[in-house]
Amino acid sequence: MPTADTLAPPAPTQQRAIVEAHGISKQFGDLEVLTNIDFSLAPSEVVCVIGPSGSGKSTLLRCLAFLEPYDHGSVYIDGQLLGYEDRSGQRVRTSEKRVDEVRAPVGMVFQHFHLWPHRTALENVTEALRLVNGLSRRQADTEGIAMLEQVGLADRAGHFPESLSGGQKQRVAIARALAMKPRVMFFDEPTSALDPELVGEVLDVMKKLAADGMTMVIVTHEMGFAAKVADRVIFMDQGRVVESGPPATLFRQPKSERLQQFLNTWRERHID
Amino acid sequence: MFEILLNHYPVLLKGLTTTLVVSLSAIALGLVLGVLLAFGLTSRYHLVRWPCGLYRSFWRGTPILLQLLLVYYLLPEIGIEIAPISAAILTLTLNTTAFQAEIFRSGISHIPAGQIEAARMAGISAWQTRRRIIMPQVFRLTLPPLTNEIITILKNSSLISVIAVTELMRVSEQIASRTFQPLETYLAAAVLYLAVNLVLARISAYLERRMAGGLATE
Ligand SMILES: Nc1ncnc2c1ncn2[C@@H]1O[C@H](COP(=O)(O)OP(=O)(O)OP(=O)(O)O)[C@@H](O)[C@H]1O
Ligand SMILES: [Mg+2]
Repeated sequence: MPTADTLAPPAPTQQRAIVEAHGISKQFGDLEVLTNIDFSLAPSEVVCVIGPSGSGKSTLLRCLAFLEPYDHGSVYIDGQLLGYEDRSGQRVRTSEKRVDEVRAPVGMVFQHFHLWPHRTALENVTEALRLVNGLSRRQADTEGIAMLEQVGLADRAGHFPESLSGGQKQRVAIARALAMKPRVMFFDEPTSALDPELVGEVLDVMKKLAADGMTMVIVTHEMGFAAKVADRVIFMDQGRVVESGPPATLFRQPKSERLQQFLNTWRERHID
Repeated sequence: MFEILLNHYPVLLKGLTTTLVVSLSAIALGLVLGVLLAFGLTSRYHLVRWPCGLYRSFWRGTPILLQLLLVYYLLPEIGIEIAPISAAILTLTLNTTAFQAEIFRSGISHIPAGQIEAARMAGISAWQTRRRIIMPQVFRLTLPPLTNEIITILKNSSLISVIAVTELMRVSEQIASRTFQPLETYLAAAVLYLAVNLVLARISAYLERRMAGGLATE
């Protein structure tokens, strides 16, 4: 059975990896959710993470963003260790402020959007521009409208989240993340909470991002999307990376039984 | 009753003013301290949560009359001379801090964790997240229980007459014993307490409507 440890790390590229993880593992109580995961993401690469429910996809993404502290191993964002530091040979947690600094290049989009309900669409986008980047209201608004335009929602700027559709909410959430000029975007099942007819508008925005060269990690159940957009697909099961490779190879010639099973189940569910 | 109100309104009004000053000071100070204590109660550090929980237990778990007497007699023991009215404000503040903190803690726990994670991922600091993302929503959510607490403090302020603060209750007792009309006097006092609390309830209802509207449209 191939595991993360036996998979060769990706060939070193000219450019340094934006996100790099070595042997990370994570436990919740007695439950081992991630086991010794290696991961590396080159600039402009689009990686889709697939796998059965409970396999640890969200936890992996959350550990890479330090929303969930990983137990062992290390995560580097742009060459900087995330969440921990060495203090006289001992590994200790860094301050929240340092975590913010190191993960500044990372933007994140969640399954359930998590827009701030007391802020308009535009304010959701401009909040961090003003608080973090210190832009004036006018500068932030100009910037924010441009971001909303990018996701096709400039005409909804003054709307509160509760009056937006799910697809619109998710697009505002994407604009909110993009406003901070991330170098890499993490998506955790961005379309799983949407009505089927609203999935397309969100995937279209993501396709455009990919085409513009955005580096992305996308946890998704949208195999068609993964096949088209991903440079690399990672299949996880029980907290391990079971297989990874270009989508054509992975989807057409799955090596492991578990991936074959996973793909068969998916086909059965989606063909009729 | 009206006769009492008419004949004694200067003293009654003075008593009412003291009641309002003491109560509103305690409520305002308790709001600030209550928010801070709520942050302590929701801290991710056990060492912060634990003493905050202890404080809350004490001030919620003992009678306010006892608290008043403890503060009043304890402070001189440790060398702090303090006017009765200050002791009254101090006690009511320490008391309402615990109750308001619990109201805010409950409100904070109702904000979905994902909203906070979204703020942190956008680079917004933990403090700014509290100030700009969490608390504006918490104030809207907790306005009804907060109004209850304000009204409770106003009513409980009648207890400070035991440490010789001449607020509305004590003034009424004095008038009652002088005029030999206790029933009329206490009815008059009741009308004054009720009037203040009705005004407060109206303000709160107005704010609630306005803020709910704010969430939906502007
Ligand atoms: N905060 C937590 N506390 C305890 N257990 C958790 C926590 N978060 C996740 N888990 C457990 O860890 C395992 C992996 O969860 P995770 O959410 O990473 O899976 P997933 O692959 O994203 O699944 P899904 O496709 O359903 O989103 C599951 O068994 C889950 O119950
Ligand atoms: Mg998940």
